[in-house]
Amino acid sequence: MNAAPVARAVVGGLTRRRVQTVVIGLVVLISTAAAVLAAALLAESSAPFDHAFSARHGAHLLVVVDPAKASAAQLAASARLPRVTAAAGPFAATTIGAACSRVTVRLGGPDGIGLEPMTLAGRASPGGPIDDVVLLSGHWVRRPGQVVLQYDYMSGNVPVGSTLTVTGLPGTPRLKVVGIAASITRSADAWVLPAEIGKLRPPGTPASAQMLYRFRDAGTTAAVRGDIATLTAALPAGTVTGAQSYLTVKAKDVSRVGAYVPFVVAFGVIGLVLSALIVANVVSGAVVAGYSRIGILKSIGFTPGQIIVAYTSQGLVPAAAGCLAGVLAGDGLARPLLAKAAFSYGIGVLGVPAWVDATVPVAMCCLTGVAALLPAQLGGRLSAVAAIAAGRAPRAGRGCAAHRMLSRLPLPRPVTIGLAGPFARPARAAVTLAAAGLGAAAVTFAVGLNTSLNLVQDGIHLSKTVQVRIFSVAACGAAGAEPMLGPPGSLGQGLTVRQQNAIEAVIRAQPQTLHSAAEADVQVNVDGLAKPVLVTAYRGDAAWTGYPMISGQWYTGPGQVEVPARFLTATDTAVGDTVTISFAGRQIAVRIVGEIFSSDLVMITDWRTLANADPGLDPDQYAVGLRTGTSLTAYRSVLRSKLGPGFVPILSALGVITQILSLLALIGSLTLLLAITAALGVLNTVVMQTRERLHDLGVFKAIGMTPRQAITMIVCWVAGPGLAAGALAVPAGIALHRYVLPVMFDALGTALPVSFVNVYGSWEIIGLALAGLVIAVAGALLPAGWAARTAAASALRAE
Amino acid sequence: MTEDALIRVTEVTKRYQSGGRPAVDGVSLTVAAGEAVAVMGPSGSGKSTLLNLIAGLDRPDEGSIIVAGRRIDTLSETGVARFRRAQAGMIFQFFNLLDDLTVLDNVLLPAQLAGVRRAAARARAQELLDALRIGQHRDAYPGRLSGGERQRVAIARALMNRPALLLADEPTGAVDTAAGEEIGELLLDLNASGQTLVVVTHNPALAGRYTRRVVRLMDGRISSDTGRQADDTVADSARVQVQP
Repeated sequence: MNAAPVARAVVGGLTRRRVQTVVIGLVVLISTAAAVLAAALLAESSAPFDHAFSARHGAHLLVVVDPAKASAAQLAASARLPRVTAAAGPFAATTIGAACSRVTVRLGGPDGIGLEPMTLAGRASPGGPIDDVVLLSGHWVRRPGQVVLQYDYMSGNVPVGSTLTVTGLPGTPRLKVVGIAASITRSADAWVLPAEIGKLRPPGTPASAQMLYRFRDAGTTAAVRGDIATLTAALPAGTVTGAQSYLTVKAKDVSRVGAYVPFVVAFGVIGLVLSALIVANVVSGAVVAGYSRIGILKSIGFTPGQIIVAYTSQGLVPAAAGCLAGVLAGDGLARPLLAKAAFSYGIGVLGVPAWVDATVPVAMCCLTGVAALLPAQLGGRLSAVAAIAAGRAPRAGRGCAAHRMLSRLPLPRPVTIGLAGPFARPARAAVTLAAAGLGAAAVTFAVGLNTSLNLVQDGIHLSKTVQVRIFSVAACGAAGAEPMLGPPGSLGQGLTVRQQNAIEAVIRAQPQTLHSAAEADVQVNVDGLAKPVLVTAYRGDAAWTGYPMISGQWYTGPGQVEVPARFLTATDTAVGDTVTISFAGRQIAVRIVGEIFSSDLVMITDWRTLANADPGLDPDQYAVGLRTGTSLTAYRSVLRSKLGPGFVPILSALGVITQILSLLALIGSLTLLLAITAALGVLNTVVMQTRERLHDLGVFKAIGMTPRQAITMIVCWVAGPGLAAGALAVPAGIALHRYVLPVMFDALGTALPVSFVNVYGSWEIIGLALAGLVIAVAGALLPAGWAARTAAASALRAE
Repeated sequence: MTEDALIRVTEVTKRYQSGGRPAVDGVSLTVAAGEAVAVMGPSGSGKSTLLNLIAGLDRPDEGSIIVAGRRIDTLSETGVARFRRAQAGMIFQFFNLLDDLTVLDNVLLPAQLAGVRRAAARARAQELLDALRIGQHRDAYPGRLSGGERQRVAIARALMNRPALLLADEPTGAVDTAAGEEIGELLLDLNASGQTLVVVTHNPALAGRYTRRVVRLMDGRISSDTGRQADDTVADSARVQVQP
């Protein structure tokens, strides 16, 4: 095939249809970027963990043992069990900073900010046959008084060089942070020299140690449970006091990125469909509009193959450019999401896999190639005479019946003429409807996601029901300092009776106070779990706190607890089951009566559940609910002045969850891009329509149509399909939301309350139904303006 | 003549390519109210360009054009569209009817764009269709009509808003001889009723029989202008009476 004339025909087509060339390029760019992002997140949601777990010899099981119950020889023998492929330990371990032990960890001196409870393990070196801990900064512990922190302890806010003070222990030990590390097994929050553990163990706390194991078969939860059973049976009774499966750790780690995957894939698919639709529309429009040109090309010697190549290329060339730019844009979008995961796995910079960058653009080009090829073949198959005749023949009077009907409506004539327009070109109207519909579906989906995620954030912080929390300054470390509103229990400082009386008196005196409850946040051990669980106990009625319920009911008395899905999964229990917790040296059986929404491993219960074991239990904070319409800042100011400098009231609404903010930002960006893509699709259709009807437009102008009337008419061409698109898109977007949202939160290991899913109100639905119209009108305005500005004489000369 | 000039074209020039030969080059022309003027010339002489400029479909590069007392070359697009609605009816060689609309809807369009009340517009349209002897085709589509009938529809549309001026670009160029003569008679009758007429044609017979003044263009310039004839009397038998 002689390429030169084909190339000239392609270049001619591209330059004559500059707007459509740009539209194809932009649309494919956006879709490719979304596809790269989706593929990268899909690939990297679990691969980095698996890669790092393998590279760092992660432990399938971390078992907490009581060294008093089993000798070193017996523990060593467990490494030779048939199912075990490797073992390490025992590593002495202890937990400090739990409120009930009166031992706290503080940043700085004894009056410093209270930190979260810390599981300490004694390791002389970071390496080993199992759980090879990666140093991310600083160095490993070399001397007593040094500590290395897990990278995400306190969300990484305790840097190398910091001093930690452990209060409540003889000598008030100080530990200097000399390094930050990452354990793929998450075997500890911090590491010290083995000999230090004894000095840091809270008084009265039994000695414990960690054993790390790798097994032949540990691919499923059932297999890991079998491994635990084997170990428990092989060791003396009572040796195994807790266990942590790597699958639980993986689920939580993977969820950081995994939560993004479902909705990004959804947006990616919408983008791909839009791209294919628009490319097919552009090329088919070029073929249909260029029948005469095709006929002339054929009459001067172009073969059908050359025609097909020429017209397919008019779609492929801008698509290829869009693909290349889209890959760069997709990489740019994916990089920040993957960077944090990379840091945590200690595997250097994590980027988009090369195979994604190679595969996605090839797939996009194939998709757009097929979309362009099908209509191009139509042109190639026409004979020269047929093509010229088809190009010159008067248009059949399609849409006449619609014109007659609509002309009877008491509406301005440009409106009725415009509304009848789609009936003359039903296929093009269908494309407009599809483009606007996909865009409107994306908007509907995004609005639902936005509402749901905000409900999630409110649900986690209880900011709609517990508007204010009151802590003591001792908990905050310094007068006026505000603690981070992290997980409850991070402060570990109980309120004295005098402080409680002071707070309760002030709260009762404020007329804006609707509810209040004293709250204690303590760490308890749960049978079968390696790490302690945070328990929040409320004194008095606390049903008003509004924890989002998924199933079951709120507790009605002591001995009943609410737990989230993560707890149920980790303990292999269900609502109605009983678990045993250890608190203040006593074993307490509690019944799970309800499942609440929370992404953390927590438990909510009545005060008496814990106070029966420890009558000296003190609350850490007060939760306060306010009457509707109360000014939060004014209420807080009153509390500050009444309570004095010894207390700090904090507004719950100030708490933000970074991951949710990131999700919302990404959703907003992708929605905007898709809406723009949809509008570009409509723009392209209107450009083709105005080109085709330019002569008619000239006639309208010649008989007195003003530019504003012309714009109205052209916009009305797409108004009908836009309205129909919105009506169809809303149920589609709602269905997508109902499907994707639970999948997202399944990745986070939690179910969702029904109220978080049924978020579309009647007025919202009506408004969203107009989204299709808005997108269609937005896409039509620009070409409508161009057409209105065209001189009448020029338009009349158009064929 | 200049006191009752409906059209005053003064030194108008129009170029389609900068540096190229102007399509209309320094043309000055006046047309009185009630005149019937033929603009003739060979292909490329600037006839249609001049007509388009008078109609406001295009803008001159130099000079001025005043129609019915308004300077139209400086009007906005909206202003010139409103001028055309009210003052200038256009008739084209290839009719320029809208195939998707019935005959009646085509004729109604100028009135609908001008916001004329529905009842009044329909009455006026019916009156025109009957006067032009195509009332029986009101619900037909233009594609089904003969060339002559389509041109009558176009004339009816052009007269819908009672324009002061009727501009026709080769009105008989796309119809057969018989139909062409009918169209010519029609235009003559309209002029006899007082309608100002400017007709672009390359047909000397049409120009001679149905107009009283012939302006010839050559290379964008007026080469001759017969001016008004001595006998300005209206034809004795005007077969079409259309109320202004």
